[in-house]
Amino acid sequence: MHFLDRRVLLISGKGGVGRTTVAVALARAAARAGKRTLVCEIANPEGGPSAIGRLLGVRDVGPEPQLVEHNLDVCHLWARSGHEGFLRSVLPGKTLIRAALRSKAVDKFLTAAPSFHEMGVFHHLLSLVEAEQKGRRRYDLTVLDMPATGHTLALTGLPDILLRLMPAGPIAALLRRGQAILNDPAQGAAWVVTLPEQLPVTEAIELLDGLAETHMPAGGVLLNRMPSDPFTAPERAAVERWLDGTDGVFGEVAFRRIEAAEQARARLTAAVEAPVLDLPETDADDPVPGLVEALARHMADGGAR
Amino acid sequence: MSGLGEGAVARMLAEKRVVVCCGAGGVGKTTVSASLALAAARAGRRVLVVTIDPSKRLAETLGVQRNPPTPVDLPADRLAAAGVTRGGLAAWMLDPKLVSDRVVHDFARSPEEARRLLDNPMYRNITAMIAGMQEYTAVEALHGFVRDDVYDLVILDTPPSRDALRFLDAPDRVSMFLDRRIFNLFVPGEGSVIRRMATQLVEKVMDIAFGEQTRRDLQQFFDLFGSLLDHLNHNQHEMRAFFKQPDIGFLLVTSPAREALAEAEFFARKTRDELKMHLCGYVLNRSLAAQAGFAMPDPTTLPADAEPALTSGLSRLADLGRVERQQVEEHLALAAQLDGRAGDGFAWVLPMLGGGASDLDDLVRLADVLVADTPPGSTPAPEETP
Repeated sequence: MHFLDRRVLLISGKGGVGRTTVAVALARAAARAGKRTLVCEIANPEGGPSAIGRLLGVRDVGPEPQLVEHNLDVCHLWARSGHEGFLRSVLPGKTLIRAALRSKAVDKFLTAAPSFHEMGVFHHLLSLVEAEQKGRRRYDLTVLDMPATGHTLALTGLPDILLRLMPAGPIAALLRRGQAILNDPAQGAAWVVTLPEQLPVTEAIELLDGLAETHMPAGGVLLNRMPSDPFTAPERAAVERWLDGTDGVFGEVAFRRIEAAEQARARLTAAVEAPVLDLPETDADDPVPGLVEALARHMADGGAR
Repeated sequence: MSGLGEGAVARMLAEKRVVVCCGAGGVGKTTVSASLALAAARAGRRVLVVTIDPSKRLAETLGVQRNPPTPVDLPADRLAAAGVTRGGLAAWMLDPKLVSDRVVHDFARSPEEARRLLDNPMYRNITAMIAGMQEYTAVEALHGFVRDDVYDLVILDTPPSRDALRFLDAPDRVSMFLDRRIFNLFVPGEGSVIRRMATQLVEKVMDIAFGEQTRRDLQQFFDLFGSLLDHLNHNQHEMRAFFKQPDIGFLLVTSPAREALAEAEFFARKTRDELKMHLCGYVLNRSLAAQAGFAMPDPTTLPADAEPALTSGLSRLADLGRVERQQVEEHLALAAQLDGRAGDGFAWVLPMLGGGASDLDDLVRLADVLVADTPPGSTPAPEETP
């Protein structure tokens, strides 16, 4: 079983590490490997452009999945879609459902009540993961580009918190069904995207700890923009000495960065049990294809279980 | 008087009472905020830097604990080490839960009511998730500091991206959640027939969907929390006006990455064009522009008897150098572009520091670059002290 053999992958990481790009590349790599794949992001309640849509060249990403290319669909997770689906599934009788869906009061309540936004997102995600088509699962794999760190933990920690508040009832049933998938290491995994630098590595380690506290199985770390090292050990030592006596030359920043990246990587692999996969620096204008290739190589290597 | 120089950032630090740093996540906003605060404190100003949930390392660097209940002054030895002699520097790393508890204590109708709200299971478990609450309380705290005149300058490090938006919108955004009329819907009681019907429908839906106990907890939560609203709503106009004052400046922090730049543009539109607030300028962080005028490593200039590893090593270094020189060009163009977009404001370049700018020396180095007379890499470039 390799690292894409799951039903749900949550891709998390701090802003600026290339998380969305990696999530899209991962989804595309899975689709090309023959998996029916859905890639999604949580819709910004304030609106605004879709980061995933921009990378995939899709203008209007909405709550309904749309086909991007063979085996790959994209959509937004909408709290509202989740709320609606939830109300339809629990309320008895069409009249009450209609009244509830039409009621501004109910809508405002669901928008305003604390943690209900996350719950709606959770329901929408689950409905897509469980969706069936022609008698079989619609998607083999759902890749979710998670929001920034704090919100990631708010979402993965949500089932536990809400189950404490409401241990029984339809919400509890929904949350338990979700947990059974997400928290099962054979079905769900969270990957942390980070950069081979000091601070991002520290934050990745903290995020993995945080995810473990919310019972989310750790897939591993995707170490993005890992510079390749063109120097042999003797060359490195010679250049190091030469730079000590020279000021203001081009290339020094990159040279030091390679060293720092190796150190950061060593610290990361020492600190985490989960696998660490390197991703190369790719074309800044069109980063996805290079990442898809790198991920395909990791898959071929049997990379990371 | 302030001891700050003639550069645009130095002027901002001398003239403003509040500087709000906005930008995408991962651009080094917290580091820039801390460096700005340090620069102003070194020039003799009494400065407070407020950040929301910063990294552990920054707290360690500044020598303060994480999430203290009130601002803490930096220890004297740290201040001395950073060259702060006359001014003062305090840091406050906001713990959202703590701040919200304090709002409850300060504004509940009675201590008894505050206690009941703090004990409510909804409040206990999920207050931290209430959209906008954290940002709102940060705004409120900021307002208090300025009013009480404890500090000459407050630097506010906003949470990343989407949340920072909420921060700017705090009064409006929170009001959606904290709207009295919405609250009343969930609190049983009098009202028009229509309202009673609406309440009944909500109750029925909630009872089926969430169970009766949860519905009751929620109602109690809304009821008690509602008592805070009048206070919070009351301040909205004042807050809006507050952020438009000329001595409150917004600073957009960005890295050369495309997404970060797009985010900065978004903030520029929002703050300056939409909300009519005062945009001081841009900081282009982690830029190579400061390297303009560097030399290319050239293995052909080595003596004939140079070791082979050095010769081949330098040619590989030159490969890296060519890419870097290209980036320097791009970053210079970028800085010029930002300068153009800044209008009356500035575009200031900060160099990329090796270790991720995590110790005090790094902050001091950045502080020096920030308050220099001209940004690094600008032409004609006077010699910068490193």
